[in-house]
Amino acid sequence: MPGWYYDKKEIRNSPSAQDALDFDTEMRYRKEGARFIIDTGSKMDLGYNTTATGVVYFHRFYMFHSFRQFPRYVTACCCLFLAGKVEETPKKCKDIIKTARGLLSDEKFATFGMDPKEEVMTLERILLQTIKFDLQVEHPYSYLIKYAKCLKGDKAKLQKMVQMAWTFVNDSLCTTLALQWEPEIIAVALMYLAGKLSKFEVLDWSGRNPRHLRWWDVFVEDVTMDLLEDICHQVLDLYSSQPTAVPDSPPPKTQSAPTPTKKSNNDQDKIETSDSSNNKAIQMTDMAPYQYQTFTTAPPPTYPSVYPAPSIPVTPHLSAPPPHISAPPPSVFPQFVNHPPPTFPPVTGAAPPFYPPAAPPPQNQRPFYQPQP
Amino acid sequence: MQNMSSRENNHNPSPSSAAMTIREKEEYISNFNFPFCDESTKYEKVAKIGQGTFGEVFKARDKSNPKKFVAMKKVLMDNEKEGFPITALREIRILQLLKHENVVNLIEICRTKASQANRYRSTFYLVFDFCEHDLAGLLSNVNVKFSLGEIKKVMQQLLNGLYYIHSNQILHRDMKAANVLITKNGVLKLADFGLARAFSSSKNGQPNRFTNRVVTLWYRPPELLLGERNYGPPVDLWGAGCIMAEMWTRSPIMQGNSEHQQLTLISQLCGSITPLCWPGVESLELYKKMDLPPSQKRKVRERLKPYLKDPYAIDLLDKLLVLDPSKRADSDTALNHDFFWTDPMPCELANMLANHTQSMFEFLAPPRRASQMRHHSLPRPSTSALQDSGYQDRVF
Ligand SMILES: Nc1ncnc2c1ncn2[C@@H]1O[C@H](COP(=O)(O)OP(=O)(O)OP(=O)(O)O)[C@@H](O)[C@H]1O
Ligand SMILES: [Mg+2]
Repeated sequence: MPGWYYDKKEIRNSPSAQDALDFDTEMRYRKEGARFIIDTGSKMDLGYNTTATGVVYFHRFYMFHSFRQFPRYVTACCCLFLAGKVEETPKKCKDIIKTARGLLSDEKFATFGMDPKEEVMTLERILLQTIKFDLQVEHPYSYLIKYAKCLKGDKAKLQKMVQMAWTFVNDSLCTTLALQWEPEIIAVALMYLAGKLSKFEVLDWSGRNPRHLRWWDVFVEDVTMDLLEDICHQVLDLYSSQPTAVPDSPPPKTQSAPTPTKKSNNDQDKIETSDSSNNKAIQMTDMAPYQYQTFTTAPPPTYPSVYPAPSIPVTPHLSAPPPHISAPPPSVFPQFVNHPPPTFPPVTGAAPPFYPPAAPPPQNQRPFYQPQP
Repeated sequence: MQNMSSRENNHNPSPSSAAMTIREKEEYISNFNFPFCDESTKYEKVAKIGQGTFGEVFKARDKSNPKKFVAMKKVLMDNEKEGFPITALREIRILQLLKHENVVNLIEICRTKASQANRYRSTFYLVFDFCEHDLAGLLSNVNVKFSLGEIKKVMQQLLNGLYYIHSNQILHRDMKAANVLITKNGVLKLADFGLARAFSSSKNGQPNRFTNRVVTLWYRPPELLLGERNYGPPVDLWGAGCIMAEMWTRSPIMQGNSEHQQLTLISQLCGSITPLCWPGVESLELYKKMDLPPSQKRKVRERLKPYLKDPYAIDLLDKLLVLDPSKRADSDTALNHDFFWTDPMPCELANMLANHTQSMFEFLAPPRRASQMRHHSLPRPSTSALQDSGYQDRVF
C-alpha cells in the first residue's frame, strides 16, 4: 500500500510528464492550481485547514492523471468542494463555481464546459477513487504551533518567527513538498528557515535532553541539515521563478512587508534569492533583500490577506487546535486490559443464579415501557 | 475517443489529449483502473442483511478467499445535489480513524465499474469485516440466553468501545441494539457511524451547535429531546444504559412514538425533569414548551427489579440512566464499576453463541421490535416467508 509520499524522480515522471508536458509547465500548473484554491477558499471564508486539504488532494490527483486531460481549475474547484465537506465547512458547488468565475478569465473559465456543476460532480467521483478515499490530511500548521510553544527565546522575535514560518507553510502548498515529506518535517524546516531569516535564536527548548543537538530532535528523528536546506530551497525557489516569462501567472504584487531584516531598497520586483540551486546552504547574506511576504501573503488588494498566522502561541485559545480530529493516533490508545481489581471484596453467595430469568419472556408480559398508572 | 478506449496503461494517455468533454471523461472513468479503489465484483453477494436510511447492507463473500465474508454497505447517492454525501464522507473518515477491537473494521471502499448502463455513475460500497449477529437480532430470539457473566462481557466491550471513540473525540450519536454487532467469537463491535461526528469540548470557548435530530427516538437522551445542541459523550452513555437494561428486558425499555411521549416515558422512569435534579435544564429550548409530568418519583431501581436481581447491575443502570448529562456516568467510571469486578466475572460469549449457527440480525428478525427508526418508518421485508424458515441466513 503506497503512502502518499514520492521521491523527486517519481514526481518528475508524473502522468503529465508521460503525457509530454514539460516539468516546468507542470510545476507552474501545480502552483497556479494551488494558488487558485487558496484564493477561492479565502474569498469564501474557508479556513486554512480546508484550503490546505484541498491543495493536497490536488497534488495527489495529478500523480495519477495528466494536466492535459484534466484542466487545473476544474480540478482545483473539485478539490476545494470535497475538502469543504471533509473539514466540516461545506460550500455549495454552485457557489464555489460562482467564486471561481469571478477569479478566472473567460478563457480559463471556458475549461469548465457547458455545465460547470456537472463537470465538477463527475470529477468528484474520479477524485475520490484516485485518492483512495483517504480524506484525512494533516498539515504543518498545527505542528508549527506545537513546536513553537516549546521554544524558549525572545518572545517578540519568536512571534515574528512563527508568523514568518506560517507564511512559508502557506506558500509551500504551491510546491510539491506535501508529496515529499510529512507535515512535521515541513514544519521543522520552515521554522528553521524563518528562524534564520528573522534572526531568532533558540536558546533552549522544553523536553531537551543531552542527546539532542538541535531543538527539532525532540520532535522528528534523523532529519539532516541537507534535508532541511533542500526543503527550504524548494520554497524559496517559488519566489525566484520568473513570473514575467509566464503570461498566465500574474506578477506577484508587492507590498511593504515587515521584513525580518533590513527593508529592501527599491528593487522590490526582483524577488529572488541570489542562488536558487538546491545545495547551497542558506546564508543570511543571501537572504537580506528577500521579501518573504510577496507570494501568497500578498493577494490582490480586492480581498483580505490570506490566513495570517495566529498570534503568539502562549495565549490560551491556541491550546485548542483547529477544529478537526485532533486525536492521538488510535494505536497508542490505552486499552482496558490492565483494569484495576474491584475496590472491595465481592459479595459471596449473594448473587442468585441468573437463568432462568426471574421475569417471564417479554412477549407474554406487560411491556416495560408502560408503567403502572 | 477511439484512442481513449484503446488505452491500456493508466499512465500512458493518448498524446493528442486535450481537456476532455464530459462524455470523454465518462469514457476515461470506465477505462481507468483506479489502483486504490477495487471493483465490487471481487465480492459475491450472499444475502441482504440490513436496510437503513443510508443504504442497503449485504453479506458477501470474497471471491479470492471463499472463507472470508464481508458486509457491504451501499452509499446512497440518489437525489444528492451536493455530490458525494457529506454523511458518507464523515462515516468513512471516522471509520478510518478508529481502529479498535470493539469498533467495526472498515476494510476498503469499493465501486461498481462506471458504464453506460449506470450512466457512468459508479455505486460505492463501504466494505466491513463481517459480524455474524447484531444485538437486536440476538435479543429478539428467545432461544438466545445470556448469563450474567455474558451480559457483563457485552457491556464491558460496549463501554470499552465508547471509551475509545470518545477519547478520540468522536460521538457515535446512534447507539441502539441494531448498531451493536457481535461476531460468532463473541467480540462486540460498535457499528453504524453514519451519524457520528467529531467534537471538541468547545471551539475557542464557543459552545458547539450540533443538530439534536440524532439518535433513534427510543434511545435518545433527555438533553437532546429538550433541544440541547451543545452536547457530548453522555448522549452515547444514555444509549448504553438503555441497551444494558434491554439485555434483560429483551426489548427497548422506552418505546415512545413522539418526542413528547418519549420524554414522558423517561420522566416516569427517571423521575420528573426539574432544575432541582438537573441544574440548568430550565435554559434548554424546549423545557418550558414541553408539558411534562410533574412530581414523578425516580423508579429506575424498583421498575428494573422484576427483570434483574444483581444489585451491581441495578446500581450501574441507575448511574447510566441519569437525567442530568453532567452527572451521568462516563465510560471510564462505568468500566470501573463493581458490576464488572465481582463474581460472576465477565465471561466469553463464544460458547453460548456456538449453539446458534444462524445469523441473527434485526432486519431478519420477526417485526416484534416494531421499527420506529429515526424519524420515519423504514420499509421492512414481508415477514411471513421469514417466519417459516426462522432466520433466513443459514451459513452465518
Ligand atoms: N460489518 C457488519 N457485519 C454484519 N452485519 C452488519 C455489518 N454492518 C452492518 N450490518 C447490519 O446491517 C444493519 C444496518 O447497517 P448500519 O447500521 O451500518 O446502516 P444503517 O442502519 O442503514 O445506517 P443508518 O443507521 O445510518 O441509516 C446493521 O444493523 C447490521 O444488522
Ligand atoms: Mg444502523
